Amino acid sequence: MITKSKNSRLLMFVVGALAVISSVRLWTGQDALTSSSTIGTALRLTVPILLAGMAGLWAERCGVLNIGIEGMMIFGTWFGAWGAWQSGPWVGLVLAILGGMLGGLIHAVATVRFNIDQVISGVVINLLAFFGVRYLSDLVYVGKPGGGISQSPPQKWALPRFNLPILSGGEVAGWKSPDVLGRLETNRWFIIGDFGGITRGLTSDLSWATVIAIAVVPLSAWLLWRTRFGLRLRSSGESPVAAESLGIKVNHLRYYGLLISGGLAGLAGGTLSIVASSYYRQGQTAGRGFIGLATMIFGNWRPSGVLTGAMLFGYAEGIKLVASDSITALFLFIAAVSVMFFVLAVLRRKRTQIFVALGVFVLSAVAYRTIDTVPESLTQSLPYVVTIVVLATANQRLRPPAMAGVPFRPGEPH
Amino acid sequence: MQAGSAKSSQTLSAESANIVELKNISKSFPGVIANRDISLQVARATIHAIVGENGAGKSTLMKILYGLHQPDSGTISVNGYVTQFKSPSEAIAAGVGMVHQHFMLADNLTVLENIILGSEPTKIGVLSLGDARKQVKEIATSIGVEIDLDLPISELGVGQRQRVEILKVLFRGAEILVLDEPTAVLVPQEVDELFTNLRKLVATGTTIIFISHKLDEVLAVSDEITVIRQGSTVATVLPKSVDRLKLAEMMVGSDLPSHGKRTTKVGATIQLAAHNLTVLGKDNKNPVQNVSFNVAEGEIVGIAGVDGNGQFELCEALLGLVASQGTIEISGTDVSKLSIRERLKKGLAYIPFDRQREGLMLGASLWENSLLGHEQQLSRGPMIDLAAAKNSCREIIERFGVTTPNELVPAFVLSGGNQQKLVVGRNLATAPKILIAAHPTRGIDVGAQAAVWEEIRRSRDAGMSVLLVSADLEEVLGLSDRILVMFDGEIAAELDPKSATPQILGKYMTGTR
Ligand SMILES: Nc1ncnc2c1ncn2[C@@H]1O[C@H](COP(=O)(O)OP(=O)(O)OP(=O)(O)O)[C@@H](O)[C@H]1O
Ligand SMILES: [Mg+2]
Repeated sequence: MITKSKNSRLLMFVVGALAVISSVRLWTGQDALTSSSTIGTALRLTVPILLAGMAGLWAERCGVLNIGIEGMMIFGTWFGAWGAWQSGPWVGLVLAILGGMLGGLIHAVATVRFNIDQVISGVVINLLAFFGVRYLSDLVYVGKPGGGISQSPPQKWALPRFNLPILSGGEVAGWKSPDVLGRLETNRWFIIGDFGGITRGLTSDLSWATVIAIAVVPLSAWLLWRTRFGLRLRSSGESPVAAESLGIKVNHLRYYGLLISGGLAGLAGGTLSIVASSYYRQGQTAGRGFIGLATMIFGNWRPSGVLTGAMLFGYAEGIKLVASDSITALFLFIAAVSVMFFVLAVLRRKRTQIFVALGVFVLSAVAYRTIDTVPESLTQSLPYVVTIVVLATANQRLRPPAMAGVPFRPGEPH
Repeated sequence: MQAGSAKSSQTLSAESANIVELKNISKSFPGVIANRDISLQVARATIHAIVGENGAGKSTLMKILYGLHQPDSGTISVNGYVTQFKSPSEAIAAGVGMVHQHFMLADNLTVLENIILGSEPTKIGVLSLGDARKQVKEIATSIGVEIDLDLPISELGVGQRQRVEILKVLFRGAEILVLDEPTAVLVPQEVDELFTNLRKLVATGTTIIFISHKLDEVLAVSDEITVIRQGSTVATVLPKSVDRLKLAEMMVGSDLPSHGKRTTKVGATIQLAAHNLTVLGKDNKNPVQNVSFNVAEGEIVGIAGVDGNGQFELCEALLGLVASQGTIEISGTDVSKLSIRERLKKGLAYIPFDRQREGLMLGASLWENSLLGHEQQLSRGPMIDLAAAKNSCREIIERFGVTTPNELVPAFVLSGGNQQKLVVGRNLATAPKILIAAHPTRGIDVGAQAAVWEEIRRSRDAGMSVLLVSADLEEVLGLSDRILVMFDGEIAAELDPKSATPQILGKYMTGTR
């Protein structure tokens, strides 16, 4: 139900952002800021974070906090890698999902059936996953060529990748179609070149796993807001007492919600050990489950918001990998954006926002002038800093599910 | 009909004119017997009222009929079939619908979502939102309710939430409608409207069971009245054969509360004042527009108005819960820049509109609840003085007649009226200088109502200023020294309670004058 004015505002926002980043690119000469290779990498890094964020969303929407996403992802990496090593990447992905669902099931039994504190159960799952897969590795991988206690043997097959035809030069039945966006990118014109780079990055060298992950977003939105199942599931996160008084079986829905949550987390792990690399390695998830939770908050518990948040993290991480010397250019970008926010805040007379925008501007401008190489730890914390700043200044009210985290015992007097 | 199959004997009971028959129902909670051997017979297509003091077991009995509680013994028959509802869905399937005393709504879901939840019209699992919207709109117009279906519940006032609850039940096509204190926050005009609409439903064969503490209304609209006292039925009577006094006697065995003439004088100093107070709204409409008034020492200023005309926002602004323009003065000093805590320190106390949402921690014990806001007086150094806190809670329980086993039980085990007494007691116990009281006797039985009124009067005589917001016109007329009527965010009139009548008030409240 997007209104026309909302659409045009979104368009204006996109064009505005493009103009700013394009100016920054031309000014600093850092073409990597919007090159298709940066964007492609960013997209690949976005996928596991996005799936982790959606896992958090499904859990909290049904009323259960899920701190255990990291652990469910670990199950996903291990079982996914095992399946892919044994019988190919598709089987691997399915096993990754099942592995994550196992974690979700444990969480559900603990919190819904036995009313164990939701945070504690999540933490325990993280520990269980970490040591559990280490034990499994000892049983299965040790002694195999290339395998060990903290690593699986490499997989022989990879998931196919493809380019979109016409847009990014994909092949259709043997015909090599033109690479329109690629041509746009190479001319490097103001805005047009950036548009070409970004869209080409999003449409070329795609893995099917990426397509599936992106499809999770509209699919979840549809399920949650357009189906009976979704409405009931949300109601058990918003007001289980009301739901129960209408004959809804809250605890069943929480089981389903957590199984879906676990499955998504498992898939997130699977993309790490099957798509982003070709073997399981200990510590492969590297805290992405928690970053996913941050994107869920950033996204105000909405699928589209989680996608935006995940892309932000993905981009910050991508640029760090592909072109770490472009990072200083990002400071200039942040400075430019904060000027825009400053103007908006002045127009709207929001005092705190004016100060925050001004502060961010000064900090990023100083950083741009003085810092040549950004220390690793700083680039790693950048996404978190961005999240905190955005959360602190968000003018839209955050609406977490009202009863997420509150245990519910059906049939008890309330 | 899964409900019937649960445990239905196919024997049609003798008096099939009775659509609901509860026989010898008993139910006890740990430490309390809520229902002992209650029987109730409700004739088809009638309005049947249930009255009784706070904690008499009315809500419990109705929750048993709705499948939320299981009786310890006794039988339920609906439509002549003996049944046993293991869950609300079985009761709903058998045509029973219930509007609870405390709203059962999900705040972040929209009105439409709340209404259809549990009985969603779907095509292979996909919500048919268009159809649902049409159906709900139809039902709403048929009972004369106008409401924006896309707003989240959190943006509605108490009165509108009430309507959503009723729509919810009607949407399920309930044949037997249980309404637990549906009129507690409605003003007489709204009550009339509600009952005119309910009459229409009765004409089409619906049966209505409703609980209320407002005896006038009970006498006016019901076909039969059942009186419950301490968990058992006292009698079922016809409204023609009794009057208020008799009903009250049967209920609590005591006299009706009366409003004696005040013998003390209103003081001279102004303790609470507002000048040009405006609360900015989200759209161009401000919920509170340019409101000015003052309350003197020992004065009770009543605010009458239909719910949703700015009273809620006015109270929140006075307390500092929402931002406002204009000035607010306590004892002559401007407090509009002060925080809530500092205002409370200056002697402000607040009895909130919704006891469960704003007044209580339901899962916490009574003494913890009564401690809220008084932590400073009831602590020794940084530690809470447990003995003193529990003691003060026991005092409140005694002074305000809260029916409870002890002060250690969680707040949710109290009946609605007793929860209200606790909230009122907490705010009066410390002798505040200024009391902002919103619906102070909401859901309190007539006996206890007299006691609360008496407490308010006593504090007033000792110099407390009171801003009294109430939907109960009798309360406003009886207690106030001056009455302000709020309509559409503004003060529409200032009236003298000696010359005002409910009819005159009603005209100003609905903006027809
Ligand atoms: N869940 C519960 N656990 C323990 N005791 C309860 C519970 N619910 C109700 N009670 C007790 O049962 C008794 C009857 O409560 P009930 O809510 O039925 O009263 P009521 O007649 O509806 O009163 P009111 O007019 O105040 O709403 C009260 O003493 C109450 O404290
Ligand atoms: Mg009750």
